This record gives sequence, structure tokens and C-alpha cells, in this order.
Amino acid sequence: MSRKAKVFIALGIYFGITAILLVVAGSAGENEEFQPQNEFLLEPWIALSIGGIDFSITKAVLYLALASALTIGVMTFIARRMTREPNKVQMAVELAYDLTRDNITKGNIPDEKLARRYFPYLAGLFFFIWFSNMLGYLPLPTNTEHKVDIFGLELPTFAIYAATANISIPLVLALISTAVYHVEGIRAKGFFGYFKSWLPPGLESMNPFGKAAIFSIEAISHLVRPISLSVRLFANILAGHLLILFMAGGLAVLLGLAALGALTFPMAFAFFVFEIGLVATLQAFIFSTLTAIYIGGATAESH
Amino acid sequence: MAVDLILPLAEVTGDVTDAGKAIALGVGAGLGSIGAGIGIGIIFGKEIESVARQPEMKDELQSIRWLGFALTEAVAFYTFIFGLIAFFL
Repeated sequence: MSRKAKVFIALGIYFGITAILLVVAGSAGENEEFQPQNEFLLEPWIALSIGGIDFSITKAVLYLALASALTIGVMTFIARRMTREPNKVQMAVELAYDLTRDNITKGNIPDEKLARRYFPYLAGLFFFIWFSNMLGYLPLPTNTEHKVDIFGLELPTFAIYAATANISIPLVLALISTAVYHVEGIRAKGFFGYFKSWLPPGLESMNPFGKAAIFSIEAISHLVRPISLSVRLFANILAGHLLILFMAGGLAVLLGLAALGALTFPMAFAFFVFEIGLVATLQAFIFSTLTAIYIGGATAESH
Repeated sequence: MAVDLILPLAEVTGDVTDAGKAIALGVGAGLGSIGAGIGIGIIFGKEIESVARQPEMKDELQSIRWLGFALTEAVAFYTFIFGLIAFFL
């Protein structure tokens, strides 16, 4: 059989199943009860309020704790058991360590002393975001809204969620990074020297109004940095989760069309592989690389 | 005013605000994806060009390529997230 015939047969099966399902199951009408956005609502499991501030234990808190525990646990476990003939896990971790040290930190922070000082922070950022992202693609029994009845036990159903799919965690990380690079810049150049260094070189002969205009544009770009840094990570992970959720059946249930589910499920699989293989690692890499670039830029001699 | 005129013509039933939100999400995310798609295409195209010209630069270009890819790809997600905010809030 030629390749062309195989492709046509595969496509025929794909659309055939969809057509059969369309005929057999038909349309159940739009589903009003199913609210897919509730997957991202944070129900307080243990209500807790300290001084008027909501400290309730929710799904996000669980994921945050799990990600932190995994980061610390896995990295210390592997560091304790280092051997001369590394197995595959140790080799992967050593590769990631080299990436964070040479590529992310030393590649973007030219000052040797500063690079050594910020390597733990940048590597921690990378590994924490990576573990948090990867944990997000592991279905865990956290969906307390739809319970399943197993032998009289009301158990929560499986759901995917990530700590980084909630804006607060990327925002906190981005704010820490922003504070760090401003403080390092002021320490390296002095308070007025640092703000003066925001102006690009070659403007010495410009009049003060032009300088003020350029300074305000630079100030806006510095203000936008934490927003773009946090929204990038948050939006990537949230959009990935939403795509998987809708393609893997959410859309079919929402519209009451079983045939649509057969059509979209392979796409859900493709998106899942794409998210795990590329996006989760890439976003962790981008976040720490940009932090390193900001620190390096704030402390560089000439702008 | 304009909506009052159009509604009887199109015989719209249902919530018009919901329809507007859905259009905002679809059109916004779609237009955002166009820009990001062009940008990602340019990044990978230029990278292929430069590797073809100087194959020894491949390793150095790789990290720059992923950085540019992620920065550009995020633009599509910004519009998507703002569309979702318009849709659900």
C-alpha cells in the first residue's frame, strides 16, 4: 500500500468515527450546567482568615506546596547521591545545572562576583517554575466540585491545575525579580547614577525636554517589565490548560455533541505533548533568563 | 442607539452582551495570533538563513532563537487572556 493510501485510510477512519458518532449520538443540546471555568475557581478547602486577610487552603496552595517540596526534595536527593558514573536522571539534572549556571547566569551577567551571587536565585527560579509547570500536567484528584462515588466514598475527581496557572504566583516571582534588579542596579551605580543610566548613551547634547521624554519612556518600560514577565508565564500555562481541557472533551460536553469530541481528542493529545515537551521547560527558561538579563542590564557599565 | 436599530432587522434572540463578548474573544485572540504567527515565522526563517550561512554559529543561535520564540509566542497569549477576561468578567 502506498503512503498516500495509508494517509487517506487514516483520515477516513478519523472522519468516519466522527460521522458515525454524529449519526448515533446526535446532539444532546447545549449543556447549561457544565461550567468549565470553574476548574480554575479556588474553593477554600480549609477556611482561614488572619487579620482580615484570606489565608484559606485551596487547590493552588496545595500545588504550590507540592511544587516547592518536589523542587527541594528531588534536588537534594540527587545531590546527596551523586556518583561518578551518572545514571540518566543525574545526567539530566547535571545538564539542567549546567544550563542554569553557564547559559542563563554567566551568559547574561558579565560580572563574575554578581553571577556567583545570583546563580542560586536564578537556578531556584528555573527549577521551581519547571517543577510547578510539569506538576500541572499530572492529573491529581483535586476537583472537589464534581465528586465521584466509589463504594460509598465521595472522592474528588481528577483535574489538572498548576500553581503557575494562577496569576498570583508568577506575579510574586516577577515582583521579587524586579526588586532584585533595581536594588542591584542602585548598589552598583548609586541612587542617581542608576536612574541616569536608564538613558541610552549618545544623548549628551540633547536638550532637557527630550531627555525627560526619553526617560519617561524608559520608566514605562521598566514598569511594564514585571507585568509582562508574570503575564507571559501565567498566560502560557493557563492557555495550555484551557486548550487541553476544551479539546479533551470540555467542548463536546459543553455543546452536547459527542462527534465533536472524537474530532478534537487527537488535538488534545498533540497539545499535551507540545506543552510538556516545549512550553513547560521553555517558560521556566525564559523567566530566569529574562531575570538574569535584567540584572545584567541594570549593573552593566555602559547602558 | 445603533444596536436598537440593528436588532429588529437581524431578529436577534438571546443575550446581545454575551454575543458581543464571544465576538470580542474570538476576534481578539484571532488577530493576536496572526501577529504572533508572522513573528514566529520570521524568527525561525531568519535562524535557518543564518545557520545556512554560518553553520558554526548554530549552538549560539539556539538559545537566542528560543528566547525570541517564547517572547513572540507570549503575545498571542496576552490577547487570548484579555479575551478571556472580557468573556468571563
